[in-house]
Amino acid sequence: MNQTVDIKELNERIQKESSFVDLLTLEMNKVIVGQKHLVESLLTGLLADGHILLEGVPGLAKTLAINTLATIVDAQFSRIQFTPDLLPADLLGTMIYSQKNESFVVKKGPIFTNFVLADEINRAPAKVQSALLEAMQERQVTLGDQTYKLPEPFLVLATQNPIEQEGTYPLPEAQVDRFMLKVVISYPEKNEEQQIIRHNLAQSFPQASKILKPDDIVRARKVVKDVYMDEKIEKYIVDIVFATRFPENYKLERFKEMISYGASPRASISLAAAAKAYAFIKRRGYVIPEDVRAVCHDVMRHRIGLSYEAEANNLSTEEIISEILNTVEVP
Amino acid sequence: MKLKFPYKIALQLFFAAAVSGWVLPTTAKAQSVSATATLDSTLMVIGGQMQLQLELRQPEGLQVSFPQLTDTLTGKIEIVSAAPIDSTIMGDGRVQISQALTITSFDSGLHYIPPLYFEYREGSEQRRAATREQALMVVNPFKEVDPEKGFMDLKEAMNLPFSMAELLPYFKWFILFNLLQLLVAAFVIYLQRSKKTIKQIFIPEKPKEPAHVVALRELERIKSEKLWQTGQVKTFYSQLTEVLRRYLEDRYHFPALEQTSGEILRQMKHEDLAGSDLLPKLRTVLETADLAKFARFEPLADENNTALANTYFFVNQTKLESLPESPESQDKTKAKNDEEKQMVK
Repeated sequence: MNQTVDIKELNERIQKESSFVDLLTLEMNKVIVGQKHLVESLLTGLLADGHILLEGVPGLAKTLAINTLATIVDAQFSRIQFTPDLLPADLLGTMIYSQKNESFVVKKGPIFTNFVLADEINRAPAKVQSALLEAMQERQVTLGDQTYKLPEPFLVLATQNPIEQEGTYPLPEAQVDRFMLKVVISYPEKNEEQQIIRHNLAQSFPQASKILKPDDIVRARKVVKDVYMDEKIEKYIVDIVFATRFPENYKLERFKEMISYGASPRASISLAAAAKAYAFIKRRGYVIPEDVRAVCHDVMRHRIGLSYEAEANNLSTEEIISEILNTVEVP
Repeated sequence: MKLKFPYKIALQLFFAAAVSGWVLPTTAKAQSVSATATLDSTLMVIGGQMQLQLELRQPEGLQVSFPQLTDTLTGKIEIVSAAPIDSTIMGDGRVQISQALTITSFDSGLHYIPPLYFEYREGSEQRRAATREQALMVVNPFKEVDPEKGFMDLKEAMNLPFSMAELLPYFKWFILFNLLQLLVAAFVIYLQRSKKTIKQIFIPEKPKEPAHVVALRELERIKSEKLWQTGQVKTFYSQLTEVLRRYLEDRYHFPALEQTSGEILRQMKHEDLAGSDLLPKLRTVLETADLAKFARFEPLADENNTALANTYFFVNQTKLESLPESPESQDKTKAKNDEEKQMVK
């Protein structure tokens, strides 16, 4: 098979650079029983340089997953429990007066780390959420008159508890849009749960080994950006996103009244970036429609607004996305 | 005629009662002015209502004032309403003035209605005509409340069944008009449907071309266009996979056009394929096409030819061909067609 030089070179590079993926997945699976999708999504977010909003009931190894990832990458990790009395300064840091030096000194907050677990983000008031989401977007924090860059790689994993809504501050649509992926995690399978019991009762928790350096992730991200995406795939992504905005143009008239607002251009960007990262995880130098479909639910589910009619008909964004994927023609 | 003893006593009592005003209407006369008060009945249920008819007969032009009544007739008999005073000319220079009072009582027992006085002036003398006093028995038909039995809740409101007959007087014309409209609409729909049925029976739809016929024709077109030979490798594979997907969709009835190569291969694993080499050939075509379409791969000339040949092979091996008709069934079809032609005529 005769190949064009660029793709051949790229494929070789990706084969070389993505060799850690299998090892990383292996180490993650040593500690996290089941939750294959969570591990895959964490990797996608990490490699696509996007943040993740995680939705799931307590006790599904969210903290353990990001902690393990931080261990494997040999990176710093902070867990911040969001509460109603949390202040932006508790997160970002503040200026405190030093009597010794007779001047204000900067006290950096827990956000200055590689991996942040923002636990129950919807329990903190809007000002704290805004502070975090601004930092996520800008990758820098301003304290006093100084701006500080956040360390690289920087990944925020925010969690939301879907069962307790009283006394919470739901994230506004504009803020949710800043998360590249919204991952919904479910309970483990029967055999997985059995294994979890065994691990816990035996008190013999497997430990993940440090196999990467943060710089390896930064380098891998650059390679991910180079993954080839054909014009046909771009059109496919645009079609999917447009189907959420104008469903009637894609033989989905019945969703016209069900969708109050469709996905933003940020969704198209995120879908493309996540598909590239997924292709990298699968150790491919080019994106195929399977990659787009694999990440589509996670990228789109928090970017589609449902109308009252949809809620009255018990229609979820999951069903809408599935129907769109089953209707939009694959290139 | 000599009356027997019991009848004689009864007759005497009747005359005595009539004179005292217990049986006949109570009447009071003052020369030419007479006043009467008549009750509908001497018995009334507690809280019930009845009429007390006041009548005054007098010479025309005489000023007689009616008794000033407010809302109570006596302490235990109340006036619910008083009708306007009405006058009737009786002839011989006399008139009758009457008024109806609606009365009620909320106390059981025997109540006396006192005489009602109508005052007038006759010359320089002040006179008055009075009605006779009357008795009204108010009875309580309800059971006595026994507080020892404890307190009971209020009874629920009664629900009467709704009947369309209640609406009929108000919406008679509206209902008739709507019924007429419905009848007209039903008739129009019936006419339209009957037309459609005729059309469906006698004008058969054009049969859809078999999936393999369309696919083979399209493959011939792709072959004749010589796309990969002229450098249009991507277009060649795009068209080739589209033909293949459309064929799979029509032949195996699953949405192949909206599925990825992996999904199609997974789906085809469940299909009963004639040859064991069909699935690997399909995989080769789809995977080579994916590489050409999405990864800028330029397959060799042999690979392009193989892809086209494999697609031909797959379509030919999996096509659904209808069996040739037997002479008997041909006769039956002919007879059926003749019958239909007759019906059209």
